[in-house]
Amino acid sequence: MRAMKAKPKVIGFVLLLAVVAAAAIYLLAGGGRRPAALRGYVGGEKIGVLEDEEIAGIFRNRYGLTLDYAKAGSLDMVTADLSGQDFLFPSSQTALEYYQQLHGQPAKSEIVFNTPLVLYTRRPVLQALAGAGLVREEDGCCYMDMDALADALLEGVRWADLGLEELYGPLAVSTTDPAKSNSGNMFAGLLANVLCGGVADAASVQDVLPRLQLIFSRLGYMETSSSDLFDQFLKTGMGAKPLVAGYESQLLEFAVQNPEDWAAIGDDIVMIYPSPTVWSAHVFIALDEAGAAGIDALMDADVQRLAWEKHGFRTAVSGTGDDAARFGVSGLARQITRVVPMPAYDAMDQIITALS
Amino acid sequence: MNGRKKLLRSGVWRLAALVMAAVLALGLAGCGAGRQEAGGDDVFGSGGVTLRILSGSENRELAPILERYAREKGVTIVMDYQGSLDIMRALQAEETPYDAVWPASSLWISAGDTHHRVKHAQSVSVTPVIFGIRESLARQLGFVGREVSVGDILAATRAGELSFCMTSATQSNSGCSAYIGFLYAMLGSPDVLTADALAEPALAEEMQALLAGVDRSSGSSDWLKDLFLAGDYDAMVNYECLIISANRELEAQGRETLYAVYPYDGLSLADSPLGYVDGGSEEKEQAFLDLQAYLLSGEVQDEIQRTGRRTGYEGVSEENREVFRADWGLQPDRVLSPIRMPASDVLFQCLDLYQTSFRKPSLTVYCLDYSGSMEGEGSSQLVDAMAQVLIQENAARHFLQASQSEVNIVIPFASEPLAAWAAVGNGAELEALYAQVESQPVGGGTDLYAAVAQGLQLLEGYDLSQYTPAVIVMSDGMSGGSMDGFLAAYERLGQDVPVFSILFGEADPTQLEELARATNGRVFDGREDLVAAFRSVKGYN
Repeated sequence: MRAMKAKPKVIGFVLLLAVVAAAAIYLLAGGGRRPAALRGYVGGEKIGVLEDEEIAGIFRNRYGLTLDYAKAGSLDMVTADLSGQDFLFPSSQTALEYYQQLHGQPAKSEIVFNTPLVLYTRRPVLQALAGAGLVREEDGCCYMDMDALADALLEGVRWADLGLEELYGPLAVSTTDPAKSNSGNMFAGLLANVLCGGVADAASVQDVLPRLQLIFSRLGYMETSSSDLFDQFLKTGMGAKPLVAGYESQLLEFAVQNPEDWAAIGDDIVMIYPSPTVWSAHVFIALDEAGAAGIDALMDADVQRLAWEKHGFRTAVSGTGDDAARFGVSGLARQITRVVPMPAYDAMDQIITALS
Repeated sequence: MNGRKKLLRSGVWRLAALVMAAVLALGLAGCGAGRQEAGGDDVFGSGGVTLRILSGSENRELAPILERYAREKGVTIVMDYQGSLDIMRALQAEETPYDAVWPASSLWISAGDTHHRVKHAQSVSVTPVIFGIRESLARQLGFVGREVSVGDILAATRAGELSFCMTSATQSNSGCSAYIGFLYAMLGSPDVLTADALAEPALAEEMQALLAGVDRSSGSSDWLKDLFLAGDYDAMVNYECLIISANRELEAQGRETLYAVYPYDGLSLADSPLGYVDGGSEEKEQAFLDLQAYLLSGEVQDEIQRTGRRTGYEGVSEENREVFRADWGLQPDRVLSPIRMPASDVLFQCLDLYQTSFRKPSLTVYCLDYSGSMEGEGSSQLVDAMAQVLIQENAARHFLQASQSEVNIVIPFASEPLAAWAAVGNGAELEALYAQVESQPVGGGTDLYAAVAQGLQLLEGYDLSQYTPAVIVMSDGMSGGSMDGFLAAYERLGQDVPVFSILFGEADPTQLEELARATNGRVFDGREDLVAAFRSVKGYN
């Protein structure tokens, strides 16, 4: 019984220790500013950015945010189930306009990264394309004559006609599904511009839809993700995907992230800028107040710098240093000058419908 | 209002989750012998995080790599093997009870991932779908040392000089790829397949004639290889890596090896993507990424290349050239220029046509166990399973529809065969057959051998060259009688008819496995996932 009397003091001390310990753990585990998790859909080509530990650290430490994402095509995500989602991170203004059409004004939106649409191919294919006068070299960069390419695609020129006997079938630019994913969608918009002889609008586009349908119908099955298409371009070899449409950022990111592989295959892989090309504007669409915080974090000067240096997205810092040396990618244009705007949403809407 | 609805909905989900958990617990408790504790076709390692992977059967060959990884890392990897089309359907379902998918081609992830659950998908290896033809026959046909078209192969088939086996086009990626290649060739190599072109009447005739020469269609590529090794066939359509693996086995057995033929106008590539199915667990996601990084590491990619798969960005390495042997016709340096897969709507139209009109009609004898031991659950499982194939609305969901001229025979049995009901085609007769299956009473002893023997006897009345014949036993397996009568009947028939079995109720597989061994058949467990097991059986004929 006597022992009982001594106990309250001991218990008090133990309790105090427990409280101190709990407080310490609490502080160590994030100091009470538990990061807010934002949920959303993102185009596959930006997953490298979101998975980047350095960038995630800035999100966590400076902005108290983590991003939890699911991969979806830029247009697909607009019609996906948005309940419980804080943001969409598509790759174009078209997706934003599509969103506005369906859901009205979002809480906030901003273009956070840019990258031009490019074509990827292999050295032997480049030589054949150059031989046929489709591709020209200028200041160490390759440019595709889009008028000539559109003609060749419409005529059904075969690879064998270009001297590539080992490639089966007609010349084609493999793209993602233009009704679901942005890079394919932008290539369709670019072709529409080329066929219209200027930026396609709701009236002028009608004339060229049958020709667009012809070109895309030849592609058959199309991937729904730009990152999957690029992965296949690299892994299935020249025969499977001789010429694909993608983003400039994809190759730059690959070269930085996989230096050994790049050293082995870099000589064979070629980036061609369409002339003219279009900008892919990666828009962060905040669906709610919580999502809006994601824009501030993405616009952080260090995030913008890392997005260029490690993932190849053009931001305010790109084109300022010796970029070609940084990436080790030959044929990287310092500035993207020959650019045409994407057709406005009403024209794109007709294109998407025609190609669905 | 909206918030309230959400709350209600989450309440319903919670309830559903509870029910699911209870069902799962019951299911596990009721799990019979012969299944490993964690379930799955293969279980590697134990403890730690468990990754359940739904994979194409061709990845069975990578088992040693997965096993070693699981052991070293202290994780558990559970592999379930299904055809690529089943993997697509599993992704389309509301719930996908897997942490990762690994089909033969990324096509099936794109077509299946309608819920946007798959991420981190990366190709682990690449292998083309090619023909492997007995070397002497390939030489005789003039297929050695020159470019061969699908048309050349089809001409040899038409002339009766070549027959081959392939997997079912509606279950497995390799069969589907080959079939699409045939369509292109028959339609005169258009740039891309269209719905209009498929409607050409001449196509149906030509395709039926071709598929009539197909030895047997298996539901999975790895099993096709096993079947090929167990039998005496001329050729098979399969992945390059499985042709290599078959050749290693053939050579070890002192048998003639296969010569690899790459049809230049009908080639397809399988890029074997491994993708994470996001179920919200960070632990699992990390475990997945670790496994994927391991599989994609230089050393393991090299090891995978030695199994006959093409890996990495630079093609086959100098050291591994000996795997892709030139004397087997392998061409590691070939630029693999595949045909274009059609857009998904056309692709699915192709598959429907295959199932309902093009493929060789099946002639299936179902021996259904109505003995006393099936009373209750066993019997109701059996009737439910039959509803999945006989009722065409159900069958269409899994590309299991009957074709216009196929024959289905049902022999209900107890201690002796009780009747024999036949239905021709895919119309009213088939529906009537289901009504009979449903109303047949249960009771009495069991002699499944007598029923199978009678089934074989009935097959004697058909010109079996016009059909893909099979016997499917659905039983709990505990039979009296003896196998001798069956073996005598099998010998008298003198035909290569597989006897498949699906187990029900308190099943004992011993006797049914004996039947399968004697006939190149296979035993499926209907107790775990009855419909899936049944679908597999149907795919194999």
